[in-house]
Amino acid sequence: MSGLRNTKAALLSLLFSVSLIAQEAKLKSEPMFQLSPLKGVNFVLRNSPTSRKYLIETMPGGVALLDYNNDGLLDIFLVNAGHVRDPMNTPISFDRHEPAYWNRLYRQNKDGTFTDVTEQAGLASAGDTNYGMGVAVGDYDNDGFPDIYVTNFGKNILYHNNGDGTFTDVTAKAGVAGGGWSVSAGFLDYDNDGKLDLFVTRYLDWSIEKSKTCGSEKPTYCPPGEFPATTNILYHNRGNGTFEDVSVASGIAAKKGHGLGVAFADYDGDGYTDIFVANDAMEQFLFHNNRDGTFTETALDSGAALTSNGKMLSGMGAAFQDYDNDGLPDLLVTELPHQPYIVFHNDGRGSFSAQELETGFGALSGRSSGWGVGLEDFDNDGWKDAFVVQGHVFDNVEMYDSSLRYKEPPLLALNHQGHFEKADAGSDVAVAGRGAAFGDLNNDGWMDVVATSLGERPQLYLNRGGKLHWLTIALRGKRSNRDGYGARVLVNGQVRFATATGSYLSSNDKRLHFGLGSAETANIEIRWPSGAHQALRNIKADQFLMIEESDQP
Amino acid sequence: MIHALLLVCLFMQMQSAEPPVPPEALALLQSGLDAENRRDLDQAVASFRKAADLAPSAGIVFLRLGDAYIKKRDYAAAIPPLNRAVELSPDSPVVHQLLGYALLAEGYAAKAIPHLEIVHEHGALGVAQIEAGLPAEAVANLQAALAKSPDDPDLLYYLSRAGTLLSSQALDKLLSAFPDTARGHQAAGQNLFVMKMFPEAAKEYQRALELRPDLPGLRLELGQVFAASSNWEKAAEQFREEAKLQPGNAEAAYRFGDALLQLGKMKEATEELRRSDSLRPDMPETLYSLARAAAASDPGMAEHALARVIELEKESPLAGQAYLALAGIHRKQGKTQQAASEIQEYRRIQSLNSRHAPTKQ
Repeated sequence: MSGLRNTKAALLSLLFSVSLIAQEAKLKSEPMFQLSPLKGVNFVLRNSPTSRKYLIETMPGGVALLDYNNDGLLDIFLVNAGHVRDPMNTPISFDRHEPAYWNRLYRQNKDGTFTDVTEQAGLASAGDTNYGMGVAVGDYDNDGFPDIYVTNFGKNILYHNNGDGTFTDVTAKAGVAGGGWSVSAGFLDYDNDGKLDLFVTRYLDWSIEKSKTCGSEKPTYCPPGEFPATTNILYHNRGNGTFEDVSVASGIAAKKGHGLGVAFADYDGDGYTDIFVANDAMEQFLFHNNRDGTFTETALDSGAALTSNGKMLSGMGAAFQDYDNDGLPDLLVTELPHQPYIVFHNDGRGSFSAQELETGFGALSGRSSGWGVGLEDFDNDGWKDAFVVQGHVFDNVEMYDSSLRYKEPPLLALNHQGHFEKADAGSDVAVAGRGAAFGDLNNDGWMDVVATSLGERPQLYLNRGGKLHWLTIALRGKRSNRDGYGARVLVNGQVRFATATGSYLSSNDKRLHFGLGSAETANIEIRWPSGAHQALRNIKADQFLMIEESDQP
Repeated sequence: MIHALLLVCLFMQMQSAEPPVPPEALALLQSGLDAENRRDLDQAVASFRKAADLAPSAGIVFLRLGDAYIKKRDYAAAIPPLNRAVELSPDSPVVHQLLGYALLAEGYAAKAIPHLEIVHEHGALGVAQIEAGLPAEAVANLQAALAKSPDDPDLLYYLSRAGTLLSSQALDKLLSAFPDTARGHQAAGQNLFVMKMFPEAAKEYQRALELRPDLPGLRLELGQVFAASSNWEKAAEQFREEAKLQPGNAEAAYRFGDALLQLGKMKEATEELRRSDSLRPDMPETLYSLARAAAASDPGMAEHALARVIELEKESPLAGQAYLALAGIHRKQGKTQQAASEIQEYRRIQSLNSRHAPTKQ
């Protein structure tokens, strides 16, 4: 009898949940997001387009959402590009000493406004020979304060967070300047030693001197195949403030590509972080972590290299999270028009299948160029949705194909149990979108987006929120790295891989956000990179939860 | 060599018809022929000129002079003596032939045509007619020439050029004389499509459809415009209508099925692609799309279709794609070894085709 009652109760509860979600969907006649001003942020992404069509001009710039002063509010770091002369003569200078071309750090105030703290934080100097690209955030020295790594065409810069609101350029000491054309980067602990390592994608073996235009009658930017491919970089954290370039020893440098985006996840569940690199106009790279400090590139054999019709893709941004709640991280890769954004569904046993058509992206993205991308549960219904910032590479693309646009509004695609459908993103404003970082900027439990676009101020897509429940988890590693990057967190059947890396050139809020639908409590399971396993039951919904790694394995 | 023989024959004919040539002129004519045999064309020309001065009514002398100039590739200089030869021997085919060639070589196509017509020189006549803006006549003559020499690359080239010109002429007339007809808008749409002006092309097709909604093929072309701009919803709509209009058209069924595939409607796509396959079996593209659509629901059917693609396409890029798709199916089934060997085949075909692909300039 009591069994029957329980079944009835469960059924009623299920029906109630379904109707609440349906009601929520009904109420959602207004757009998910509101394009809102970032009060106090006067940053303009100055990419300096020229008639010479230097390829770097069309690729910046990154954005990071981080809490640099640990006050519980997300701050914004924006990477600027530089002044490109038309033509550019030697000696090369991008005038990064001029304030108009500085990267900028904006501290969020309690009232939601921002204050420019760039100069006082010691982040003003970006190096005249550096043209800015992307940003990665991670606490590489486990001191509790997030550090910032900026990628450039030129030399990259590692800023150590001193914990007092200032940063110190420690690049030379750390040995992570790289060189060439670095694009996206991310911190990860690939050997699970508790110290964050660093991965940097590089695009091409290109220089101002080697630059050329393509398209005889209508000159424009050349495709990547016009220049030699190059290698990505992996730095191993020695733990003493220095890093060792292990690109060759780890096997990462064995493959040359046209790296743009990077995303991390443990796709085969072996407890070690794997690396996906979105390559432009070639096969994608999936570096499988061999658990011995080396990697094997397996994209083609795993089914994550090409589109479903066996074509190369112009991979730009990437998100590596589980969109269909089967517990396995999948990939969403953005690219150029006439091919949809690609979904590589993780089929288990270390293999993927391209399912861009089955998931609905064939109808959503064939005419668009996608860059920054996130798989986040924007409507808190328990399914991760997709948000993509868009805009073509060519600023004169309309002359080549009048059905395409250089500037485009973003794409919001809501996830209906694994199938994506377009939704109103709350803005029809067309921009040359590039970077995008995802996080809960106003701590209301609903994920927001900060995006960059060429020649313009950043856009804030502020989530209007709703009635469904959520849970946001901050990890604090002890034996694992302090950020908890690499942890697998399971909440009410949904999995997130802990990382701030993904999208394009950008770094996301490191907190892990889960939409809970109508559930008012959550069960949480965490597998830490150290191997420790933690479970929490009946955790109240609608809260920010900090979980410290247990001392028990 | 042919010229020399023809000229000898003609020489014999003309000698009997014309007034006798003075002996001094005959001697110079002989001296010119000797020089030609020695390949001393300048000396030949000098001898023939002197002979012409001595025998201004002897057609053979002017013919020899014109021929010597042609051998020197000095077509401009060949024209006056050949014109004189025509005046003197209007019924001589070889004179018309040489004059026709010389005029054509100098760009006087229209003037060359009557001379080439007299000698039924179909190939050269066709070329002259192309240059003179008469592609329809050129097509007929070039086809006649090709009937005799079917593997002549020059003739094949000129026939293709004549065909293009003919089509362009018809198109120009259609567009200028009948711009607001369904066919006029269709042709304009085709032009804009080639120029990748997809929205503009779509407007032209839509106007054509307003005028003649039942014109077969219009919706198929409009659908392709939408497909080229990745507007798959609209493409599917047009292909669906075309498939209704022409239920026996395998291409319409294939295009509709492929659009449904792009929209992720795998079940409907499978049905339509199977229908296309039954209308026109063994179309590799149809089979490949069918395999993609059916891969999840009916892997057996997908495998069969891909095997057929490989059989038909051997080592083409599409065969490579088929191996890759097979690998995907087998990987999902846990047949990792089979998948690995299919990946190997894919790589082999890729490398084969990249070696054959033209290099980028």
